[in-house]
Amino acid sequence: MTVKVLILEDNPVARSFLCRVVRESFSDAITITEAGDLETARRHISLTGGSQGLHGVDPFKLMMVDLELPDGSGMELLAELSHYPATKIVTTLYSDDDHLFPALQCGADGYLLKEDRFEVLVEELQKIVRGQPPLSPAIARRLLTHFRPGGADSPAPDSGFMVTPFTTSKPVPIEKVLDHERLTPRESEVLTYLSKGFTIKEIASLMAIKWFTVNDHIKSIYKKLNVSSRAEAAVLASKQGLV
Amino acid sequence: MGEPATPNTRRAARDSLFEASAFEHSTDVGGTAFGWRRQALIAAAVLGCLVVFALARWLAATPQVGGEWMAGADGALVVRELPKSRDSRESPGSQQPARPGASQPLTVVGIGLQGEAPLAVDALLLHRWPRWQVDDTLRDRQLHQHEALAQLLARSAGSVQLHTADGTLREAAVAARGYAGLGWVFWPLNGLALLLYLFAVVLMVSKPQPRNALFVVMALCQAGNLVFIALASANGLGSPMGAMTSDLPVRATLDLCTAAAAVHTFALRPEGARGSPRFPGVALLAWAALPAWWLAVAVGTGLPLWWLAQGACLLLGAAALAVAHSSQRQHPDAHGLVLRRMATAALASLALVTLAVALGANAGGSTARAVAAAASTAWYLFLTYLLLLTPFLARRRQLLREFALLAGVSTIVTSLDLLFVAVFSLSAFTSLAVAVFIGLGLYAAARQWVLQHLIGSSVLSTERTFDHLYRAARELQARPQRYPQLLTQLMRELFDPLEVQAVDRVPVRARLLGGGSALVVPMRQSDDAGGVAATHSRALVLRHAQRGQRLFTVEDARLADRVVEQLRRAVAYDAAVERGRFEERQRIAQDLHDDIGARLLTLMYQAQTREMEDYIRHTLQDLKTLTRGLAATEHRLSHAAGEWKADLTQRLQVARARLDWRLHVDHDRRLTVVQWSALTRVLRELVSNALYHGHATHVEVDLRLDGPLLRLQVADDGDGRAPAAWAHGLGLGGVRKRVKLLGGEVAWAENQPRGIVCTVRVPDFPAPR
Repeated sequence: MTVKVLILEDNPVARSFLCRVVRESFSDAITITEAGDLETARRHISLTGGSQGLHGVDPFKLMMVDLELPDGSGMELLAELSHYPATKIVTTLYSDDDHLFPALQCGADGYLLKEDRFEVLVEELQKIVRGQPPLSPAIARRLLTHFRPGGADSPAPDSGFMVTPFTTSKPVPIEKVLDHERLTPRESEVLTYLSKGFTIKEIASLMAIKWFTVNDHIKSIYKKLNVSSRAEAAVLASKQGLV
Repeated sequence: MGEPATPNTRRAARDSLFEASAFEHSTDVGGTAFGWRRQALIAAAVLGCLVVFALARWLAATPQVGGEWMAGADGALVVRELPKSRDSRESPGSQQPARPGASQPLTVVGIGLQGEAPLAVDALLLHRWPRWQVDDTLRDRQLHQHEALAQLLARSAGSVQLHTADGTLREAAVAARGYAGLGWVFWPLNGLALLLYLFAVVLMVSKPQPRNALFVVMALCQAGNLVFIALASANGLGSPMGAMTSDLPVRATLDLCTAAAAVHTFALRPEGARGSPRFPGVALLAWAALPAWWLAVAVGTGLPLWWLAQGACLLLGAAALAVAHSSQRQHPDAHGLVLRRMATAALASLALVTLAVALGANAGGSTARAVAAAASTAWYLFLTYLLLLTPFLARRRQLLREFALLAGVSTIVTSLDLLFVAVFSLSAFTSLAVAVFIGLGLYAAARQWVLQHLIGSSVLSTERTFDHLYRAARELQARPQRYPQLLTQLMRELFDPLEVQAVDRVPVRARLLGGGSALVVPMRQSDDAGGVAATHSRALVLRHAQRGQRLFTVEDARLADRVVEQLRRAVAYDAAVERGRFEERQRIAQDLHDDIGARLLTLMYQAQTREMEDYIRHTLQDLKTLTRGLAATEHRLSHAAGEWKADLTQRLQVARARLDWRLHVDHDRRLTVVQWSALTRVLRELVSNALYHGHATHVEVDLRLDGPLLRLQVADDGDGRAPAAWAHGLGLGGVRKRVKLLGGEVAWAENQPRGIVCTVRVPDFPAPR
């Protein structure tokens, strides 16, 4: 059985390049569906069982979504597909956290920077699929702010040179935050190191743990980000009377 | 608790009082309180007017002998133009009725009723100032003549007989003085007395405090003195009964009261030490001078009474000055300084007047009388003006200046007028004209001096004020978070106060405290100054303008208000401009990134060679750095370092090389966009060189920031050699250019055992403003 992959990218040259990357990355037989805009992508997805992916006989296993599309932002699709059982990867030229962070909140499992070299992209893609999503210092910093008790509106941590002890006895927010929406001290520590540019291996040795444990923390953070943002969305929706 | 207050606690108490009076001023004049105040004021005004009119009526009803009385040679009494009595047809004086003004002056040696021994009179009858009669025996004679004449006139039935020096008898009419005979200075002097009295009442009614009570005492005493002078200014011969005998004791008491109150006032200063005189002993002693003087009069010391009174007044004045000086040294205070200057002026002039009168008395005769009258009147007027001035020290400067000048000039004009009439025997009109002329000259000359010395002028010219304001606004634009410091600095420059203090209350407008000793300026924070809101609104209290040499005035308060408002506007405007700029930059960045970035990407995918692809990738990355620099306002060094490291790690990993990253920064700081983008691109370029030209397998990056010195070293183990022989292409040229932009230098050298080491040194890596 072949692995179905959806590539949503408006630039045909880039699309074919990404196809090459995907084919290079996996040894399995692969069927690639290409889409140039959101509408085409939605049509393809509905053919395979709709955005929930529940009734689909043969859903996409991997989706590469560009953010800048002629008829909207890939972010919209990601938000619609938050329950779709596929590995969703954002491919973008924007490497800054302002663009990437919302995408991750929408449930992306990782991101690829389109200007990277072919072999880098292949490696990164493999890692994401294996469950080792990338986390740049900027995003790590943004995550720290996001999960900091007191809300995501407070400014970024002021100094990366100060290793602040992450204790749970920080100012308790008035609203009870559920445990699965809060970072563990270990996860916070990992994020702090990442924000300073340490590699996963370096972090592992600094924290005296295995590198895949660090990776587990990162995966967990990704999940919490998605969960917490979905909870936020739900709260927002109920406030606006949408639900 | 019982121990004496330390200066600090006293200062603290003073401050709290300061604030209390600063911010709770408007609460004490409530609606109901206003009612009784107004009624009391009206009642007092009516009472004062009634008293003045009663006096006028009394004086008008006093019988007098009309005519132009003057002193003749040898102290004799001379009359000219004796008004005709009812039966003057028989009198010899009526022989020349057709030639008015040509009547011969008569020397009068006695005044009597028909069939009675005449009262011997001389020019002493013209001296109506027993208080300013230096010689005791002369005063006794003077008082005797005045009283005897008053009794005589009271008994006369319409006329008296004048015994002339040549033995003839003249009939002179005796009539009530009438309102026309009160003299031209009677009403102005009484008006002034009334004004002073009303001032005192207003002050007492609006703020009943011990200090104000002392002012009231001084004001009332001076009003009393003015009334006495007014009484003495009446035309004709003949004073009201008792007016002359009471002159010396009453007026000496009034003078001593004034002096003692002055001492007490200065002993109460500085403000805030309310209720407890700082020199209680001195105040007590001052008041004790009063009974002491009376005792001396009663017992008799052998000293002339005038000298006794003057001596006591001068001594008390000196004591007041000494107290003022000592309290001023402990607590410099502009208000106190101005008051001290006023007291000095009053005392100095009193000493001069005393000297003049004493010298005049030696000369004797009409000179003595003229000097005593003119000098003392001038001095009392001067004191009155000073008293009237005191409550207005911190009010409108323009008004104050003009008032002070007018007061001074009119004092001089009055005294000159009196002097000319008395000494040079000029006619009233001529002397007035000359006096006014001289007065105007003095006004023009004294204007500048008074402006600068008595009240103190603004040291800053408009130009410099504008300069200060402009600089503060510009600096505020650059660093809005420094608003409190900048405002404080600006206020210092504008007013040069001794003390500046921030308090947590917020007055709506700038306002004066302590009669102009202090100024409260609200620090209004602009709402759109972004991120600055943390320093919440407060107020500045400035104390003692111009190093305590000047009082704050209402104009100063308005100026401070305008300055604060202008700064707020400047900040708001700059914030708007900055926001607009930022949005514009972001738009440009977005366009560049989206359009050029996408095309470069397409180009990169289609690149024929690996070098071409790398070159385009490099360009794309530069473009991204550029657009990010455009969009962002600033970067933290720690954050940037983290990103650099992650970026380099990834690139070296791809190239199968190892990175040694060392970072040493003494403290985290912000990078400007220029610094950030320059360092990002230099680092990227240097590592690219090591990887792609040197084929290095190991790259060491060492970044240090020690104070202002930045050092970046990139060392590799590649096969690059002899850097001096390199052709500087686009890459290395770019590095040089960017390092130069940072104000530093870059050098390449051979690394041991192999490779290249590049060192970037920026000796003065500027911190962002």
